[in-house]
Amino acid sequence: MMMQRTTLLLPMAIEATMLAQQQRGMATLKTISMRLKSVKNIQKITQSMKMVSAAKYARAERDLKAARPYGIGAQQFFEKTEIVPDEKAEPKKLFIAVTSDRGLCGAVHTGVARLIRGEMATEHANTKIFCVGDKSRAILARLYGKNILMVANEIGRLPPTFLDASKIAHEVLNTGYEYTEGKIVYNKFRSVVSYQCSTLPIYGGPTVEKSEKLATYDSLDSDVIKSYLEFSLASLIFYTMKEGACSEQSSRMTAMDNASKNAGEMIDKLTLTFNRTRQAVITRELIEIISGAAALT
Amino acid sequence: MTNAWRAAGITYIQYSNIAARVLREALRTELRTDAAKRNASHVKFTPWANGRPAPRQAQSES
Repeated sequence: MMMQRTTLLLPMAIEATMLAQQQRGMATLKTISMRLKSVKNIQKITQSMKMVSAAKYARAERDLKAARPYGIGAQQFFEKTEIVPDEKAEPKKLFIAVTSDRGLCGAVHTGVARLIRGEMATEHANTKIFCVGDKSRAILARLYGKNILMVANEIGRLPPTFLDASKIAHEVLNTGYEYTEGKIVYNKFRSVVSYQCSTLPIYGGPTVEKSEKLATYDSLDSDVIKSYLEFSLASLIFYTMKEGACSEQSSRMTAMDNASKNAGEMIDKLTLTFNRTRQAVITRELIEIISGAAALT
Repeated sequence: MTNAWRAAGITYIQYSNIAARVLREALRTELRTDAAKRNASHVKFTPWANGRPAPRQAQSES
């Protein structure tokens, strides 16, 4: 059945393309109106996608405000203890790429992937990548597929929750890869029209324990540090996911706005050519009628 | 001194998540529906090895 269909369709398709090629010089009214219709439909789609992401963006920004203290608090610890990675020991690096599954949002995901690619270009023997979101996986798998440790997907459909983040943190700690230092790569939200691809440092337990400034904090033993690092990783991932989600929605909003604008321009141009061709057809027909009448008399 | 959650063989994140879930379930009905949304998670994980998705050895509960 399927085969019959394709064999029937193939000559028709070839015929259609030949017809289109013949008419390229002077497009007919019908083809123009068909294109006009399809562009109008695309514009409708991009416009409604913009509306949707605008609503999602408003929510993501509200959520981000609430999530910021988690990130700031967790970062403070690493700043105050002034951890320096142990130079003598062999470094085992980990990159956590915070993106999402969904596209059509400008260069949000590419920015994250590019930053990691830049860092990997110099040295990538002892480095692993944890991909959060399918998009970073799709970009990084081509060049550094062997370095990918794990991929988390189904992200971006709904706003990220703390449970999502803690599941990811749990998997990061449970992969069996004992990283000494790591970086969370994410998009930091700045305003509706701008975001900045940035990194947050994370460290493994032994590296933290060796830090000299750790005495700033009272009554720390390795058990407390272990528990704290688990929690801080979860909160950092939660915070970066929120930042990423907010940047993504704002970026999608701009991208869809631009797409609708471009579609609008295209519609204007197509309407113009459509009207012009219509006029030309009418004029030609009139000339034919008049000259025919003149020939009779 | 070992913590209770270490003794039970779970990490602090799991421990605090369980605590959070119990707290959410203990809320009043009108607040609980809203809080239940924060209890959901849809993330899926695929381990990778040698540039290919690898089968998971053991599914871990969070």
